[in-house]
Amino acid sequence: MIESILRFSIERRWLVLSFILVLLGAGVWSYQHLPIDAVPDITNVQVQVNTEAPGYSPLESEQRITYPVETALAGLPNLAYTRSISRYGLSQVTVVFEEGTDIYFARNLINERLGAIKSTLPTGLEPEMGPIATGLGEIFMYTLEALPGATQADGEAYDATALREIQDWIIKPQLALVPGVIEINTIGGYTKQYHVTPSPQLMLTYGVTLGDISEALRDNNSNRGAGYIERNGRQLLVRSPGQLQSLTDIEHVVIKTIDDTPVTIADVAEVAIGKELRTGAATRDGRETVLGTAMMLVGENSREVSRAVATKLESVRDSLPEGIKVDTVYDRTTLVDKAIGTVQKNLIEGALLVVFVLFLLLGNFRAALITAAVIPLAMLATVSGMVQTGVSANLMSLGALDFGLIVDGAVIIVENAIRRLAEAQGRNGDSSGKLALKERLEVVFQATNEVIRPSLFGVIIITVVYIPLFSLTGVEGKMFHPMAATVVMALLSALVLSLTVVPAAVAAFMSGKVREQESPLIVASKSLYKPLLILAMKLRWLVLSAAVSLVLLSGWLATTLGSEFIPNLNEGDIALHAMRIPGTGLEQAVAMQSLLEQRIKEFPQVEKVFAKIGTPEVATDPMPPNVADNFVMLKPRSQWPDPSQTQDEFVRELEAAVKLLPGNNYEFTQPIQMRFNELISGVRTDLGIKVFGDDLEQLLKSAEAILAVLETIDGAADGKVEQVTGLPMLSITPERMTLARYGLSVSALQDTVAAAIGGEPSGLIFEGDRRFELVVRLPETLRRDVASLGDLPIPLPNGGYVPLSEVAIIELAPAPNQISRENGKRRVVVTANVRGRDLGSFIADVKARINQDIKLPPGYWLDYGGTFEQLESASQRLSIVVPITLAIILGLLIMAFNSIKDAGIIFTGVPLALTGGVIALWLRDMPLSISAGVGFIALSGVAVLNGLVMLAFIRDLWLERGDLYLSIIDGAMIRLRPVLMTALVASLGFVPMALNTGTGAEVQRPLATVVIGGIVSSTLLTLFVLPILYRMAHGREIKR
Amino acid sequence: MNILKMLGFILVLLTAWNGNASGSTSSNSSTNNSASTENNNQEQKTVSAEVKGPHGGVLLKDGETSLELDIFERGVPPEYRAWINYQGEAITPSSQQQAVLEVRLTRLGDTVDSFTFTYKEEAYQGDANNGGYWLGDGVVEEPHSFYVEVSLKIADSTHHWVWESYEGRVAIKADIAEQAGIGTALAGPGRIQRTLTAYGNLVSGSENLSHIRARFPGQITRVNVNVGDRVKRGQVLAQVESSESLKRYSIFAPIDGIVTQRHANTGELALEQPLFSITNLANAWAELKIFPQQRATVKTGQVVSVKAAGSEQTSTIEQIIPTDSGPYLLARAPLTNVDGSNSNTNPWYPGQLVEAQIVVEEVDVPLVVNKRALQSFRDWTVVFIQIGENYEIRPLELGRSDKTHVEVLSGLNAGDSYVVENSYLIKADIEKSGASHDH
Repeated sequence: MIESILRFSIERRWLVLSFILVLLGAGVWSYQHLPIDAVPDITNVQVQVNTEAPGYSPLESEQRITYPVETALAGLPNLAYTRSISRYGLSQVTVVFEEGTDIYFARNLINERLGAIKSTLPTGLEPEMGPIATGLGEIFMYTLEALPGATQADGEAYDATALREIQDWIIKPQLALVPGVIEINTIGGYTKQYHVTPSPQLMLTYGVTLGDISEALRDNNSNRGAGYIERNGRQLLVRSPGQLQSLTDIEHVVIKTIDDTPVTIADVAEVAIGKELRTGAATRDGRETVLGTAMMLVGENSREVSRAVATKLESVRDSLPEGIKVDTVYDRTTLVDKAIGTVQKNLIEGALLVVFVLFLLLGNFRAALITAAVIPLAMLATVSGMVQTGVSANLMSLGALDFGLIVDGAVIIVENAIRRLAEAQGRNGDSSGKLALKERLEVVFQATNEVIRPSLFGVIIITVVYIPLFSLTGVEGKMFHPMAATVVMALLSALVLSLTVVPAAVAAFMSGKVREQESPLIVASKSLYKPLLILAMKLRWLVLSAAVSLVLLSGWLATTLGSEFIPNLNEGDIALHAMRIPGTGLEQAVAMQSLLEQRIKEFPQVEKVFAKIGTPEVATDPMPPNVADNFVMLKPRSQWPDPSQTQDEFVRELEAAVKLLPGNNYEFTQPIQMRFNELISGVRTDLGIKVFGDDLEQLLKSAEAILAVLETIDGAADGKVEQVTGLPMLSITPERMTLARYGLSVSALQDTVAAAIGGEPSGLIFEGDRRFELVVRLPETLRRDVASLGDLPIPLPNGGYVPLSEVAIIELAPAPNQISRENGKRRVVVTANVRGRDLGSFIADVKARINQDIKLPPGYWLDYGGTFEQLESASQRLSIVVPITLAIILGLLIMAFNSIKDAGIIFTGVPLALTGGVIALWLRDMPLSISAGVGFIALSGVAVLNGLVMLAFIRDLWLERGDLYLSIIDGAMIRLRPVLMTALVASLGFVPMALNTGTGAEVQRPLATVVIGGIVSSTLLTLFVLPILYRMAHGREIKR
Repeated sequence: MNILKMLGFILVLLTAWNGNASGSTSSNSSTNNSASTENNNQEQKTVSAEVKGPHGGVLLKDGETSLELDIFERGVPPEYRAWINYQGEAITPSSQQQAVLEVRLTRLGDTVDSFTFTYKEEAYQGDANNGGYWLGDGVVEEPHSFYVEVSLKIADSTHHWVWESYEGRVAIKADIAEQAGIGTALAGPGRIQRTLTAYGNLVSGSENLSHIRARFPGQITRVNVNVGDRVKRGQVLAQVESSESLKRYSIFAPIDGIVTQRHANTGELALEQPLFSITNLANAWAELKIFPQQRATVKTGQVVSVKAAGSEQTSTIEQIIPTDSGPYLLARAPLTNVDGSNSNTNPWYPGQLVEAQIVVEEVDVPLVVNKRALQSFRDWTVVFIQIGENYEIRPLELGRSDKTHVEVLSGLNAGDSYVVENSYLIKADIEKSGASHDH
């Protein structure tokens, strides 16, 4: 089969070469459609169902909203699990589906179920699904501010309410239309509201209640259409406009009449533009601001969308009022460009190095060019493959590409072809040294056929070793699948190319005189290699024991290296959570935040700092007001006082400085990483023990008991019970008997209290398209006066009043600040990390101790989770997949050689190849990580490939000549050049990556380091140890 | 660089090789160390409070002496309890070795509490294997935040231990505190004025309202006043010709006031009906509704400030009377119109609804703090005192309070500097280690 393909490629070389054009076309088209982002998307398939419930406390929103929604969504097809939080004014149910579920399908299902329960939810509450976006969705953020001196139309300076109005009604509608944008989310400022704030005394005077006022406003604020009249041939539309237009209009609304005298709103209340009871705020550089976030639709190209948003924002600027400044504070394009820049730089530098090495070692420009041509072609094919399989281009997926590895197959073929052509020309060339066409084609065929099998096997083996990566699941899977897929695609396309295009090109273009002119480098190495090899053959036991001890040594070294499961991609910007104690008010948080931002801004490295506090308009990240997401945007490194300072160092400096500010706790992370964490959520410590049950008190009690047990267990660290209480709550509990005495119902009391403090929405005021809520509530001074709340008059049905303290008990008590549920049940989590002990025995210990010491009441149960689960399942899967992979490789080797012994010889070479990688890591102080692991995988492939080619050659020679020793020496000498070449191209291809410090370097550096180090040891192995082993293995055969 | 590392690596190998040999020497040296501390008894040891003894207290060890110190607060005010062991034996006053234990607590502001200990025979509620403990003299006041110095004299040698045991304390640099707007005030005496808001109506006093009838039935011959006229007491309002005597007699105004009703015209008969109503507007009564919950606090003689339509007047509650119109009492306070002239611009007129602040309590107390300073901490209500750059909780026992200030019964001294402005920041800083962000 292979032979016929080769023959076809060589015979029909021009046809085959013309396929390059097709490949070019497909590649270029695909490149334009390739989704590009900085990092792989690790978000699971999830849909958030948010229900805004103004005024609802955590308990109420759980009972009235979260529970019905959760119950309705239970049992959806492909459902993985649900989790929910119920907070003040918000219920959020997150529905996570099995991997691979179509998001639109999932949303459809949810929509259907939500429709069915709408009637069971409290009126006016509408569950809404969050935007169709992933953790990569927040691609663009901007802030609004008024320049000093800028004034509104009425001469007032712009305040937070006015800025928010501009965002809501001028900027947002325009940006929301940008293709690829699914949502513009706003946080900060105040939504403008019209406030009617009646005085309790005046209401009593006129015998008016809050309810009367709301009702009057509702009844006097509408336009009606009244059909049409046809008159004298004309059609007259009839309409009765009655909407309230202005503050004065509102003031003139009549509430009731007393003895024919109308009582208007103005008689009992002030009417003014007011502020909503907001759930979130935004700050920038220490001042309050309005922050808009553009969210990208899932699967879009983030660079393009954020560019489009930026362009649109540019044109939006023209439509803004004088003196309003819109500033881009976060633009994903920057990061993506940086990341892509890093990859491009690495790839181009790597490719140039490869071409240079090829030229240097082959000593033939055409041959080098043919080999190097494989790089762009394989790249284009890979890009096409990525588009077809939906793999996006990012640091991870492009990070592991090494052109050295890609051209390996081609190098071997071209090198052999040149050698054979030169030989043949020397033997039967004509006067000019040229061969006849037929003869040339035959030589090329022979040369290719000679090495194609080993190199095919080699490439297939390299591909196979990537299989374990595909067995990773969860976050690790999402990070490394694209990488493995890309590498495999690149290798496979290189394989196909070296089977078709390379021989065709060699046949087509190597028509001239092929100078068998070995470069001085090769000559020198050959003259060095031969005596060394002979020496090594003599001292074989010494060499072998050195090799074995090297393996043992690096095995020990590997255990001393630190380890890191998932690499941390450096985004170049800092995000930090600033956390205050639960119950911190929004205004207090803003004040603390402003202090924090002023301090951060003092650093010369910081370009801007901004923050989101609490929950934005669309509750994509429902934080309580005591948590702020800070974004610290750094200046380009060249503008730093010390450009050589690393980001880690700067973060430490920053942390030390902000630690001095009172009242904040911090957690440092990065913008995209933060978003991923928020979305994936779940337990991020080693161990999480979830206690499920009904009663929050009991849950907390059990959780604390578990924590107490946990802390006594050896190795437990950072033990914590999830914070569920601590929200100070003012409870106004109605006294039923007293209420009855005054003829009041509980709901009448609650209505009054809710309207007085929370406000009663009483319609909308339209200003053109803009619509604003009309709200009735008590004046701010009275609302805030908790001490005199008991004196609030509650109107009686028959006139008169009763003070609130008479009919209700008012008390301040801590209450749950958030109720978390999972799979439809309340839960409290106890988390802990493990230090200085292996996870497995720790978990077993914990389970045993908890079983023994903790007695849960009936109806309560435990569930163990945490990263230990992922580690456990990952190592379980790997313990199956890795041996299978090894078996496959061995099988392939046996197939290649028809000899278990030879396969074994090549196989034993793998550990030695790995030693170089381990030592390189150790020398560079790098931990073992999955990235490094990928390097080791690539390395074992290269080692096998080299060994394969070398042994195949020696064996052929031996069969030909019959003398083992000489065959080994000669074979090794002939293979020196290709072995050196593959080694050099593979390692030099990775050099730019290994030395890289730019964005994304942390993924590529370990990988490249391992490969470079490993290739050195693997080359030594191939050149010295393999011949020795081969001789020892087959020497006995001869004697027998 | 890399060569150095290689060398280092070889060194590591060598040390690993020699690991066994050096092991024995190092264990020797460690025993020497512990022996030297035993000899030097005057050395102060800084201990960590992490090591717990069998009674749940801090376990202190020095050579053959061990001491467990616990603050016991179950069912009793916090007190120190100690257990002393020497050469493996529990030390009691009857032991061969006499022990003298002293604990000194240095609190923020350098106040020092000293405790001496006496032995008490009593079964400790726990797994104690000896029936008694050493009891410190006195209550360990909250907060339990201090620098602890323990000295134990036993068998002719004295052992010292010191450690820091702070709670509810935080240090904030002065410049940052200023930037953050943390402001302090000195605690001192003050006046507590507790008020109650009540609503009610203004009524005319019955002495201010007069319905005037004719003494004898007869024909009205003249009417001098009209509705709205102001009249003086004794002013002639009308003349009536008696039907019996046919004599004309005058009807006089019994009070000063304003004519609000007139049912009399010349020529009409004055029979039983009232001819005029005169209301005196110089005075009015505020009748404030006092609901059952408020009844206990409202008394006659209390000062009340009455407000209506932008006017305000201070008065006192003169009567508290029941009413049959609702489940409340009426507290009555007189109001005077300033000019007393019955002009129609005067603020107080009957029928008006008023809001009143009744001062239900007004006392001068020796120590008050601003209510803005109060924060909750665990189960306590606390203020934060400031000494230099240190801030620490002071759990308070509070007494009466009004809108702005609250009386302090105990927990704070007059003259202490406590945080008023932005006191929440201090609370936030002390509790922040618990602040987390669980998604």
